[in-house]
Amino acid sequence: MTLFPRLRSGLGAFIPAMCTLALVAAIAWLAPRNAAGHAQGQTQAATPAKAISGGSAKKSAKPVAEEKLGPPNKGLGNPSAPIVMEVFSDYMCPQCRNFYMNSLTYMMQDYVTLGKVYLVHRDFPLPIAQHKYNWDAARWGTAAARIGKFEEVDRALYVNEPAWEADGDIQRIVASVLSPADLKRVQKQVAPCLNQTPANLRPTAPAGSSCSLDAFINQDMALGKAVPVQATPTYVITNKGNRIPAGSGYVSWPIMKQFLDSLASQ
Amino acid sequence: MSQEGRAKLGRILLFLGRIALAVIFLAAAYGKLKPLGNMHWSVASAKTSLAMFAMQVDSYQMLSQSGVNFVAFYLPPFELLLGLWLLSGITLRFSSLITTLLFGGLFGVVARAYILRLPINCGCFGPSEQLTIWTVIRDGSMLAVSLAVTVGAFLVARKRIPAEVPVGTPTPQRAD
Repeated sequence: MTLFPRLRSGLGAFIPAMCTLALVAAIAWLAPRNAAGHAQGQTQAATPAKAISGGSAKKSAKPVAEEKLGPPNKGLGNPSAPIVMEVFSDYMCPQCRNFYMNSLTYMMQDYVTLGKVYLVHRDFPLPIAQHKYNWDAARWGTAAARIGKFEEVDRALYVNEPAWEADGDIQRIVASVLSPADLKRVQKQVAPCLNQTPANLRPTAPAGSSCSLDAFINQDMALGKAVPVQATPTYVITNKGNRIPAGSGYVSWPIMKQFLDSLASQ
Repeated sequence: MSQEGRAKLGRILLFLGRIALAVIFLAAAYGKLKPLGNMHWSVASAKTSLAMFAMQVDSYQMLSQSGVNFVAFYLPPFELLLGLWLLSGITLRFSSLITTLLFGGLFGVVARAYILRLPINCGCFGPSEQLTIWTVIRDGSMLAVSLAVTVGAFLVARKRIPAEVPVGTPTPQRAD
């Protein structure tokens, strides 16, 4: 009972402060979790594991067949590898380049070529004003993927990004890794796309576009939105059909290798 | 409200705050340790989950490889122990003080990542939680609650000590 007089002064300020803080914490806690839970629920309902690995992209794609080309193949390695890693990426995002240069390159050497991991690139050009040429880069990459030259062009786009981000001359970069004949095949696909209204500020390419490549990019973006991709790079890993929650941001290779080894041992 | 009523309310709020903090830590530890996807609970699956958490810690781009692994593999068990300690209510002053220091550190890290616009997952309560302004607000609120519980715990302890010592008891002399 001797406690009250001493507590009186402290509690006068303490109790209302505590109530207010608890209320703020509860609001902040609930708001994002409800939103995330809703989005996650949509993802699971709309996107089965197979769809995210490219099945739906191939089924629904009906591009204008300039050269009777099929859908783009942006996968690297053995498609039946136990681990499938899909990376949603924007060619002009610095973290994506960092991720490619310092992690994915090593993964391709150590895991993809040995058939342990199947790496799939997914285009997710962000609607950011500074990313002026991200749609064009995605188009060049997609066009190259349709003639089976994705790996070379993908690497060239990332490695030389500082060079082409200034003037948008992506063709020069692509030309440096393709034969003249292949370059012509890629140019033919990209040509109808390049003089269109800048697409980087739109969430998706315009309807009725003469650029058939945009349909494929939109399909990647639809897959990304179902994940949901909120930033790039975002990676979705599937191990023997078991989809792991998506990760985001740059991860160094030794730490990623540690995870892949742990996953492979399951 | 009477003085007795206020004191009672204070104790109730302190109790609720302590339980809330304990639940937060237990949930955080569970979120990091739980098996990924449809894996089953096992030591191996827990290690894989911690390896996944290591990727999230690494994405903050603050620590070396050994630092990342230290945080990733020791933080979740520490959170579990801290949650149980808070739940027990034993020496609340110290458990809440450690909680506040930990929340302060985590809040600083999350705020830094947000200011730098790092496109990463928070990793606070498991994978797939994008770091947004809501994450910063939430972590800041939890820090504030933790601070309030710590202050309350110290206040209560300070008031309690003189009451437990009978009047006229000689002060014990130091041996040295």
